[in-house]
Amino acid sequence: MIWQQFANGLAIGSVYALIALGLTMVYGVLRILHIAHAGVYALGAYVGLLVFRFIPNFWLALAITMVASSFAGIILQRYLYAPLLALPRIVPLIASIGLFIAMEEIFRLIAGPYILAFPADPGLGGIEWGIVRITNNQFLVFLVTVSLLATLWFVMSKTKLGLAMKATSQDLEIASVMGINTERIIATNFLIGSALAGAAGVLVGVYFNSVYPTMGSIPAYKALAIIVLGGLGSIPGTVLGGLLIGLGETLLLGLINIPFPRDALAFIIMIIILMFRPYGLLGKE
Amino acid sequence: MAFLEVRCLTKEFYGLRALDRVDFSVEERKILGIIGPNGAGKTTLFNIISGILRPTAGEIQFQGARINHLKPHQIAMAGIARTFQIVRPFGNFTVLKNVLVGFGHRFYPGLFSSAYRFEKETHLERAREILARVGMETYQGSIAKNLPLGLKKHLEIARALALDPSLLLLDEPMAGLQYEEFEKLAGLIRGLREEGITIVLIEHNMQVVMDLCERIVVLDHGVKIAEGSPEEVRTDPQVIEAYIGQEETVA
Amino acid sequence: MFGGYIITVAVTIGIYIILAMSLNIITGYAGQISLGHAAFWGIGAYCSALLSTRLGLPFWIGLPMTIAITALTGSLLAIPCLRVREDFLAITTIGINFVVQAVFLYVPFFGGAMGIGGIRSPFSTSSFFWITLIFVLVCIVLDRWLVTSWIGLALESIREDETAAAISGIDVVRFKVAAFAIGSGLTGLAGHLYAHFMTFISADDFGFPQSIVILSMIVFGGIGTLRGAILGAIILGVAPEIFRPVLDYRTLIYGGLLIFMMRFQPGGILGDQSVLPKLFRMVRQRSPALVRSG
Ligand SMILES: Nc1ncnc2c1ncn2[C@@H]1O[C@H](COP(=O)(O)OP(=O)(O)O)[C@@H](O)[C@H]1O
Ligand SMILES: [Mg+2]
Repeated sequence: MIWQQFANGLAIGSVYALIALGLTMVYGVLRILHIAHAGVYALGAYVGLLVFRFIPNFWLALAITMVASSFAGIILQRYLYAPLLALPRIVPLIASIGLFIAMEEIFRLIAGPYILAFPADPGLGGIEWGIVRITNNQFLVFLVTVSLLATLWFVMSKTKLGLAMKATSQDLEIASVMGINTERIIATNFLIGSALAGAAGVLVGVYFNSVYPTMGSIPAYKALAIIVLGGLGSIPGTVLGGLLIGLGETLLLGLINIPFPRDALAFIIMIIILMFRPYGLLGKE
Repeated sequence: MAFLEVRCLTKEFYGLRALDRVDFSVEERKILGIIGPNGAGKTTLFNIISGILRPTAGEIQFQGARINHLKPHQIAMAGIARTFQIVRPFGNFTVLKNVLVGFGHRFYPGLFSSAYRFEKETHLERAREILARVGMETYQGSIAKNLPLGLKKHLEIARALALDPSLLLLDEPMAGLQYEEFEKLAGLIRGLREEGITIVLIEHNMQVVMDLCERIVVLDHGVKIAEGSPEEVRTDPQVIEAYIGQEETVA
Repeated sequence: MFGGYIITVAVTIGIYIILAMSLNIITGYAGQISLGHAAFWGIGAYCSALLSTRLGLPFWIGLPMTIAITALTGSLLAIPCLRVREDFLAITTIGINFVVQAVFLYVPFFGGAMGIGGIRSPFSTSSFFWITLIFVLVCIVLDRWLVTSWIGLALESIREDETAAAISGIDVVRFKVAAFAIGSGLTGLAGHLYAHFMTFISADDFGFPQSIVILSMIVFGGIGTLRGAILGAIILGVAPEIFRPVLDYRTLIYGGLLIFMMRFQPGGILGDQSVLPKLFRMVRQRSPALVRSG
């Protein structure tokens, strides 16, 4: 039983990590809380579903979604955030919240307020392993997140681009003095982050077989708790935070059955940890 | 008992020793210079004395009492004021309001006295006097963030003076100033000393340091490598060594 | 005197004005971004509702008790906020909002999903309007006193630069707690009025979206100014009523409005650096104020 919960928690947690990663990457270079990131995630789910309805192939839908959502991310960066960066931090924050609200409304007006089914079958099959049953969909989530995370890890640590991205997130000014084209790095951060969010949208849409306008609401705020836990801007911290929250929620609620809403739990975990580590798990001052 | 005494002060940042067992003391009504190459640990020293950072080890005594466990505002109230190398005035305040903040230490602690109006004529009067001291009386209505760097630096001194300090820590007050302003500022610093304020001055311009200070402490990589009169320090081989390759050569 | 509908809108806006002013003290003056202000409002409202329904306390006795309890809870909740700064703080306050709302929703003492009903108001709707108006005026006077006091100066210098404030003799921790205490005391007032006006409250009224609405009001009007808080509360309070005919697009317009404002008038309509106040100053040909900037 506990191992089954563990598998469930891990699946949820890895999706959380995927969503929160983009948020962390954006925070790392621009120091803004990109709430509308969850809008990109919901957009991804809708785009994926749209593609899937024309050509019912999961992998194609996933690929096109990632391209489309990375476009969306770059547009947001260029036309919404870029002009606001020099202003007090609350300005891009409010703009981002405004955008998120507007995006949810646009989804509702275009696709309707209903829950749409996303019955994709990537043809992977599930795994029975003793008493633990990893379902078809869980397996899909693991497979896709692990390959995306591995790719991200490779890019970040083994390529010149990754090095430049790291330098930029450590200190934008120094990086640009060092001759790094920080404009492009910022755009790249949005591109990768938004692609990951879009992928997460498709995965969650398929996992729960549902796509709906406000599906980004809870992830929007939970992802904040996760990136704070991880130490705002730390990529390994974010993955750790995502898994921790996913597991924490599932295990606490599944085993102890405390009468508490799942979504407040993430924040309780976050607040408690922040009291001991005010800069998050892997964050620096 | 010295006015300010720093004993065996050590500060580590993630294993890096920014200050390594630094000892020195300042006599009352004297000007002590602190020099050293960039990254020597001078600003860190001020941050510890003013309570912004906690030392890893060591002790600071001010007028005979240990202060290194106090919070910044308590140290300010005890009579230690400072300026910042990288200026940080209250950007959206007027110049006058920047100075007024420093008067508050008499009012902030009390629940009722902190409810009084801060724009009393007596306070404004006194603030204008202080601004006149630093030659900024005509700027009292300007918004601080719009001032040029030189004036921001003077404003920092005015804000520090508002605390009515007995010890003033100046972190590179001349840096970024026009050459013509040096003499005026040096005059101001001398005047403050005449009035009984003890001063610790971090400064890169050797001419200024040599002229102003009775004693000089030289830091390099967190270690005190020399201490003495300007003459002694100027001729110290270790000091010359430390400055070789630095653009600020000993004048 | 007015129709019931108008009065209801007016009282709601009055309550929003008090909320906006109280958040303006915490975020506008002291610079502590709070994205969980509705939580404090909820604490006020629940406290007031419980005092009224469980203990049967009358309006005027419940009022000071609610304000005191909310101010106290507000300063207690400020303690986790003191450990963290800036964005960590912003997200911690979101967390507080979700947790407080969850407590209302899941702890039976607070009525659970049903909320608390049957709060008796001793006033007619139109006298409620006058009472709200008087309280708004009292809050305005209070706010004017605050910004001219040493407390106000200390709060604003903490907003400008915490470290510089500390070395100028300001006990940063103490004044941050003071800001949260004063701000949440006022939300206690707003909660008390709300509970007695609605006579029924539930956890849904005090969620994170409400916090965003309150924050939007002060940012929209011009953060850090009293006139901005009031105008923002009026505009964003009236907007849902005006856009009632286009109900389906209302939220979209709201989101679009926030983006548009931040993009083109980030200081808010009446912020010190915004177009309208600049025009106003030009027209008045007033010499610049010496001490205060605006
Ligand atoms: N807050 C800090 N965190 C980490 N390292 C610091 C910090 N402050 C200073 N340092 C390091 O300590 C050393 C001394 O710096 P500083 O005191 O600013 O030197 P100076 O003022 O003499 O130029 C430098 O190597 C600097 O990078
Ligand atoms: Mg320095």
